[in-house]
Amino acid sequence: MFEGYDPGTFYDELVAPDGTPRPEAAAMHEILAGMPLDVFEERRQLADLSYLVQGITFTVYSDGRGTERLFPFDLVPRIIPRHEWDVVEKGLAQRVTALNLYLQDIYGKQRILKDKIIPRHLVQSCKHFRREMVGLNVPRDIYVHIAGIDLVRDSRTGEYLVLEDNARSPSGISYVLENRLVMRRTFARAFEVSEVMPVDHYPNELGKILRSLSPRTGDRPVVVLLTPGLYNSAYFEHCFLAQEMGIELVEGRDLVVVDDVVYMKTIRGLTRVDVIYRRVDDDFLDPLAFRADSLVGVPGLMNAYRAGNIALANAVGTGVADDKAIYAFVPDFIRYYLGEEPILKNVDTFLCSRPDHLSYVLEHLNELVVKAVGESGGYGMLMGPSADKKTTEEFRERLKADPRNYIAQPVIPLSRCPSFDPATGTISPRHIDLRPYCLYDGEKVTIVPGGLTRVALQKGSLVVNSSQGGGSKDTWVLRGNDGGEA
Amino acid sequence: MNRYKLVHVTQFSYDGIVTESYNELRLRPRHDEGQSCLSFRVTTNPVAKAVGHQDYFGNWVHQFHILPEHKKLRVETEAVILMHPVKEPPVSTLTLAELDAMRDDLADEHFDWLAASGYCPFVPEILELAADAERECDGTIHGLVQTASSLIHKRFRYQQGATHVHSSVEDCLETKAGVCQDFSHLLLAMLRSRGIPARYVSGYLVPRQGNDEKAAMERVIGGLASHAWVQAFIPDTGWIGLDPTSGEYVDAQHIRVAYGRDYGDVPPVRGVYKGHAGQSLAVDVHVRPAVDDDGAEQLLETSATPPPDPEEEIHAQQQQQQQQ
Repeated sequence: MFEGYDPGTFYDELVAPDGTPRPEAAAMHEILAGMPLDVFEERRQLADLSYLVQGITFTVYSDGRGTERLFPFDLVPRIIPRHEWDVVEKGLAQRVTALNLYLQDIYGKQRILKDKIIPRHLVQSCKHFRREMVGLNVPRDIYVHIAGIDLVRDSRTGEYLVLEDNARSPSGISYVLENRLVMRRTFARAFEVSEVMPVDHYPNELGKILRSLSPRTGDRPVVVLLTPGLYNSAYFEHCFLAQEMGIELVEGRDLVVVDDVVYMKTIRGLTRVDVIYRRVDDDFLDPLAFRADSLVGVPGLMNAYRAGNIALANAVGTGVADDKAIYAFVPDFIRYYLGEEPILKNVDTFLCSRPDHLSYVLEHLNELVVKAVGESGGYGMLMGPSADKKTTEEFRERLKADPRNYIAQPVIPLSRCPSFDPATGTISPRHIDLRPYCLYDGEKVTIVPGGLTRVALQKGSLVVNSSQGGGSKDTWVLRGNDGGEA
Repeated sequence: MNRYKLVHVTQFSYDGIVTESYNELRLRPRHDEGQSCLSFRVTTNPVAKAVGHQDYFGNWVHQFHILPEHKKLRVETEAVILMHPVKEPPVSTLTLAELDAMRDDLADEHFDWLAASGYCPFVPEILELAADAERECDGTIHGLVQTASSLIHKRFRYQQGATHVHSSVEDCLETKAGVCQDFSHLLLAMLRSRGIPARYVSGYLVPRQGNDEKAAMERVIGGLASHAWVQAFIPDTGWIGLDPTSGEYVDAQHIRVAYGRDYGDVPPVRGVYKGHAGQSLAVDVHVRPAVDDDGAEQLLETSATPPPDPEEEIHAQQQQQQQQ
């Protein structure tokens, strides 16, 4: 399968520049290299089928057909040696801790604004800065319980860089868990020879944190997962996580607020709810406090939150931490709140709200990636080098009209990982990123080893978002320092 | 006497049965150096307990909910308010050039009062109006804000029904007509686009009483019912009131209830409920001196009844009364 494989000029995750497998990948490389194409193809189809019968799909919004699609799964895993992961893990823990301290501060004393580490106007102009949260005490002072931090490896330096933070409702963990299950079935032997660190304790860890947030002591806390419903792109994940954690999956209409206490409507009457793992955006969470036209929210929820009778994970207003313009300041947050140097670096970022940066960006549009600050999932983005003239000019106008809404970054030559190309029936290198999922309990950050590796399945493409034609891979962190040896 | 009793009655009538009604009121007058809120009471029918808190802008919010089926909702608030004599601040002589030099500091301190907002976008017509006002004024900040306010009073016609409660300045710019809510939004957009911090004030305007009551009523267009005006920030003076609807000075007749970036931050009554029913809204505001000079009570009132909302939805929003 690896015949004629050329790692090329990009950093290859599994293959060294001389074409030999990296030590941590040696065992898997041998298995794949010795596998006939028809056997591989058969396993691939079995894997796809298992996703299909389980209904593991996602919805593409901008596609007029509103179709549900399978999230393509690539059978070649990404393998991370333990010593590398240890550094990544420390860096993520540091970042998530700093993001929480920043949110506590912004919705509290605002020391960081008074000390002018970050301009006040940049924070207050965030679409997701919630004035309702200023002065509101959240349970145990935790804002971001679940964060998905997107990492890329820069081919030039081999270093991991943080590409963006997702501190609202990061999705995708269900793929991490499902991918592992499918891989275990498909490549059972590989798991015998490589000691892969497990990921299946995630729902348990998340459940523990959610229960610990209960504002009531004594009784067994009632935790629910609030979903916008069937038509949400991540509905499968909502069902999956609720089931794994053994909690109720509810929609807004299943909950009611009475005298600032949240209840769930059940066939036996009202049951008090203590903690909501909400997968509904702030805007739609409470039609009384936010968008009045929301049909998926719970009216009065913010009143219950203010009264301290309900915990929400993540807290309301965490979008003021993962705004792409705020991102540029996260290394400063780490220095300011923790007095430490950031372990994981940022990608250089131009803030279009700064006139000097804006003029540079406008002059170099065809070299840069431009992103809308409040969007995610690859929407509202311009890939300068590959965009056509018309799109580039459209973005130029948008940038001039609303500079605060955009940032720009140089194109990072993302590392690549061997991936199966069905068109040629061979394994070829494809660009990848990594989204680890971080859980914060107020004291420590827990990260299931690895995370979601997304792969740009189209040859040469750098866009890995599922909504933009990306796929995913199982991500292995090996227990030993090199391949297979524990 | 500058002691008033304000009774504000909001009445919703639904075509059918509604349930799970959640509402927020921003009707309690502010309590500060310029005015004292001596008492405030909320009564609803069906009966509910209103709970108060202060929002980000320091406004009092009272929220209540009614879960059982109902076809009508009546909300009555009663406030007794003591207006302190207005101390006229010295007229600032700060120039617009001096303002420009302070731009960065103001942007940092007054971001909310300088940014364009949903109701107050910086559309080209706004920038033109602001430029006109600047041309006509004496080059001071104080001069510009006064000129801008009277320019709106001169160029726009007061007309109820020309716009609606959710209109942004664009509707008003198109029809050249509107009510106090629109005029306030126009002035906010003009001042902010020129770098002058400005905020929306929701409140009441007490009619000046003279011998000819009818004339007095006409003079305070848009008075009595919920009113809106603007405060502009002048760095060496502080906040000064501007009423582009009356074109007159803001004084102890202006009872301030809430500050916001625009109407969207301070609707006097806002709510949602479940039900398929259409609705109609009626609002009555009574203002009277709490102790009359002659010992005889005078009662003034007004009412407004917009047409019922034809839209049907399972979740519905309480209709809102435009500030006129």
